[in-house]
Amino acid sequence: MMPYTYILINFFTVVICFLASFDRRIKFNKLFGTYLLSATVVAIPFIIWDIWFSSMGVWWFDTRYTLGLVIAGLPLEEWLFFYCIPFACVFTYYCLDQFFNLAWANAFNTLIVFTAVIFLSVAGLLYYDRIYTLLTVIVTLVTLCYLHFVARREWIGQATFTYLILMPGFFAVNGILTGSIIQSPVVNYNPADFLGVRMITIPVEDAVYGYSQFLLNIYCFTIAKKYINPEP
Amino acid sequence: MNLLIVLLVFVSMEGATWLIHRYIMHGFLWVLHRDHHDHSNEGSLERNDLFFVIFAAPAIALLYRGVQQNFSNLFFIGLGISLYGMAYFFVHDIFIHQRAKIFTKTKNPYLLAIRRAHKQHHKHLGKEKGECFGFLWVPMTYFKMYFNKK
Repeated sequence: MMPYTYILINFFTVVICFLASFDRRIKFNKLFGTYLLSATVVAIPFIIWDIWFSSMGVWWFDTRYTLGLVIAGLPLEEWLFFYCIPFACVFTYYCLDQFFNLAWANAFNTLIVFTAVIFLSVAGLLYYDRIYTLLTVIVTLVTLCYLHFVARREWIGQATFTYLILMPGFFAVNGILTGSIIQSPVVNYNPADFLGVRMITIPVEDAVYGYSQFLLNIYCFTIAKKYINPEP
Repeated sequence: MNLLIVLLVFVSMEGATWLIHRYIMHGFLWVLHRDHHDHSNEGSLERNDLFFVIFAAPAIALLYRGVQQNFSNLFFIGLGISLYGMAYFFVHDIFIHQRAKIFTKTKNPYLLAIRRAHKQHHKHLGKEKGECFGFLWVPMTYFKMYFNKK
């Protein structure tokens, strides 16, 4: 059972959303190709980041929890992670957007960006010597500022609200990966490279990293959808 | 004491914003602020973006130094600026961009007064002859308009 741990995490993350995609009120199955394309665009830089950090020992994987296939230093399951997790995220965002009017959350756009810029900048300045903290701060700052000031996306508040709704899922997936429930973590972190603040077992950086990954996936998905599946 | 610093800074920020708006944006940085008034071009930089930098940069610097000095007064000054910035942007996004259809039918006299004053500020398309440069606090006239029983 142990070698199936990580693949099962990926599987359970995807399965409910995947089946629900075929519901005639949702029809997300028509957007699978669009999703694969946009997720790949986002996955490339994140996988490069992952390969780099794994090779430096910022984090590493306990291969006893994996099937054993390793590509470029990352277990196959880790590669799939960049498709499975965003799938659940983008699917949730898409459904909430379809069925609810969440525009009220966009009144918080500048407030969210402002608060994040201040908080992240101060954290980055104080802990510039911890590479996971620093890089997460930089990526999230650039992502938020680009979306708000350059791309002028109006959905930042709505997306942030969706991310909060996804928190139970985030805690389940990242919790197991970092050693909640199971005996030891699947993903281990070098204590010198991050703050050391953990939510249960999850490094606080993971939540911020997940946020920027989520925002970028929404950004690319909405662009891809506009061109591939234009609204009638 | 620390709470007092935060409150004092928050209140003074309204004054600072008024000064910046009155003398800088309607002064030597008018070039950046102009299209906000006359919509002469679709400039990518909004007045809001300028305020963002003006509020964020000192707040970050003060908070950072303040934490380094074991949460000295600088930290709480930075906190006051941050909180004012948050209030400012929240109100701005609701009213100016009407991004959310909340408060559009508000009967709240304070909100109506600042909305009315902001409209008044925009009645002037040029750099000169401005009025109502404040944001969270506007001239008494506007408060009287809505707070007095009809």
